[in-house]
Amino acid sequence: MKKIQINGSAQGTTYHISYYAKDCVIVKSQIDSLLNAIDQSLSLYNPNSLINQFNQSNEGLTVDNHFVAVTKAAQSIFQKTNGLFDITIGPLTKAWGFGPVKPDSLPNEKAIQSLLPCVDSRLLYWEGKKLKKRNPCVQLDANGIAQGYSVDQIALLLEQNGINDYLVELGGEIRVKGKKWPEQTKMSVGIETPGEDFAPTVMKKIVWLDKGALTTSGNYRRYRESGGKHLSHLINPRTGYPFENELISVTVYAPDAITADAYDNALMGMGLRQALGFVEKQPGLGAYFIYRQKNGNIADSASRIFRSLLQP
Amino acid sequence: MKRRDFIEKTGLLTGGLLLGSSWHTMAATAGPVKMAIIGCGDRGLGILSVLAEQKERFTLTAICDLLDFRLEAARKDPFASSAKVYKDYRQVLDDKNVQGVIIATSLDMHFSIAADALKAGKHVYLEKTMTYSIPEAVELVKLSANYPAQTLVVGHQYRYTPLYFKVKDMITKGYLGTVTQIDCRWDRNWNWRRPVPAGYTDEQINWRMYKRHSGGLPAELLSHQMDFINWAFDTHPDEIMGSGGIDYYKDGRETYDNVQAILRYNAKGMIGNFGATCGNAREGYIFKIKGTRGMVSLLPHEGVFYPEKDAKKELETVDGVTGATRIEWNKDGGIPLMTEKMKDGTWYAMQEFYNCVTQKKMPVSNVRTGATTAVCVHLANQAIYSHTIQTWKPEFNFI
Repeated sequence: MKKIQINGSAQGTTYHISYYAKDCVIVKSQIDSLLNAIDQSLSLYNPNSLINQFNQSNEGLTVDNHFVAVTKAAQSIFQKTNGLFDITIGPLTKAWGFGPVKPDSLPNEKAIQSLLPCVDSRLLYWEGKKLKKRNPCVQLDANGIAQGYSVDQIALLLEQNGINDYLVELGGEIRVKGKKWPEQTKMSVGIETPGEDFAPTVMKKIVWLDKGALTTSGNYRRYRESGGKHLSHLINPRTGYPFENELISVTVYAPDAITADAYDNALMGMGLRQALGFVEKQPGLGAYFIYRQKNGNIADSASRIFRSLLQP
Repeated sequence: MKRRDFIEKTGLLTGGLLLGSSWHTMAATAGPVKMAIIGCGDRGLGILSVLAEQKERFTLTAICDLLDFRLEAARKDPFASSAKVYKDYRQVLDDKNVQGVIIATSLDMHFSIAADALKAGKHVYLEKTMTYSIPEAVELVKLSANYPAQTLVVGHQYRYTPLYFKVKDMITKGYLGTVTQIDCRWDRNWNWRRPVPAGYTDEQINWRMYKRHSGGLPAELLSHQMDFINWAFDTHPDEIMGSGGIDYYKDGRETYDNVQAILRYNAKGMIGNFGATCGNAREGYIFKIKGTRGMVSLLPHEGVFYPEKDAKKELETVDGVTGATRIEWNKDGGIPLMTEKMKDGTWYAMQEFYNCVTQKKMPVSNVRTGATTAVCVHLANQAIYSHTIQTWKPEFNFI
């Protein structure tokens, strides 16, 4: 077995894939064309993508398999999180300047109130492969979930080609299967330290995996500033305003990356106590939280499943 | 804006009652600041185009230059369509329809125009380097203290970009560790001359080549980087060594086409190397700040942080890293500092000028920081021209 590595750029970030095989069975061009197809479907940054066509349409349109898979997963997590994860958040992320276009000023109360009636996954319904909207103002933003989905699709491509030992990472979202060769150990994944922009020296925790996915959501690098205050890019779909609580970052462990990715934002919104309780009730889900205590100190906390990953 | 004007304007709009509004909201009711540009060369026109992008903040009511062809060029800009045209800056200062002036003339004229503008009640955006000489810098600091209600911004415009603020913040927070070395260059491979139109003298157009008008490469280029170091580290050099010559363009110029200055910062334990040549363009602009934990490499609008090996080691021991929008490493081991495209530094500088005028704030690049940098430039030039080591004197401690 040899270790084969593929590195590249996609979806406005980078990816790193390592897999163990007798030969190089998957090459970079296959990864790039897969990611490109997902972009064509779900990227807001691609003006001709299906998602942009859907957003501009009045009633909705027939969508491709990527779109179906991501939207159905999003609808399921919408229900499980009582609407804290909502793929119809498009109008709000756009207004707050976390979309492809950055408005010069932040939205006022009136603007936000006018957008809230457009934000509700129950405004979506299916007619076969046709995704319909009940209100023309409904706009999707798959950024909280499409990256996790992409990681799963790469993993699927590897497995379909007989690869059983791999680590896929795209934009900090990870999926792992199997072991490293020849040492036969689990793969190790570092959880990046939040808080300090350019201090990559301290890794808060290292976890060891032989299956499953890890994604992290946090407030510490992607934000806008307003009056010296950092505004989180994570918007509460129910209030229209950025989440504000003690959580700095959440790292979620789940069987696949789309699930981990969809939950991480919602958990950020719940706050530590509720999020920890929520995670413990979901089978197969684990989470690691970094948060700010009332006295300003940074602390961390992990769920039961997550604690088991901290042992090699 | 003069206080009297201001009260008149808000009085009109609020019926004479200031209902507990902040300076900011009051300024908003007062409308754009009426500006004049004195000196319509490349830099003056560059600032004009930035003012035109900020129509909600500025109107252009006057333009002024000694040279007709420059005035002609400036008049063609639609933003200058209603501006009065002057050849004598004193007439600009007499114009009641001017609240603030941009001074983008040759260096030797900076002081007299800025001093007269303050005395005439105008706000001032004064191009770098602040003054032609050290005594002028001292004098302008003294003079401006008499006009606390007027804004004086010194045009070290890079200072105002979010990128340079971020780097200052990184330095303050210790991300670079202890900084010992700074490397700065601003190189080009051409003669640094502008074509002289028929009917004009070389001295009028290429004043940068003449010692009586200009501080040469250190004043026109290296001053930006010297200024940033003073500001970011809250320090000044104690000792300045220099070297230079007219080494390639022996075309009658007086200022040097090849210079190097070494600035020693005792309090911080740093050496700054500031160099410029007209004889090689390969590296162009270099601005590297080197510390025990990492180095920042800056271009005017881009920056990359290169952590030192120890800082990176831990990252390399794992098979993968998860993080929210996790750190993006360059191919050469660096982390880009800005993920979003910025506007030009002058845009932010003019925004700051407006905010200072309307909110009566002290600019980040003000007469005292401007004077500190002007002293650095002149000590560097004295070291370069006289082959001596120059030392900082207590009377240069403006801050």
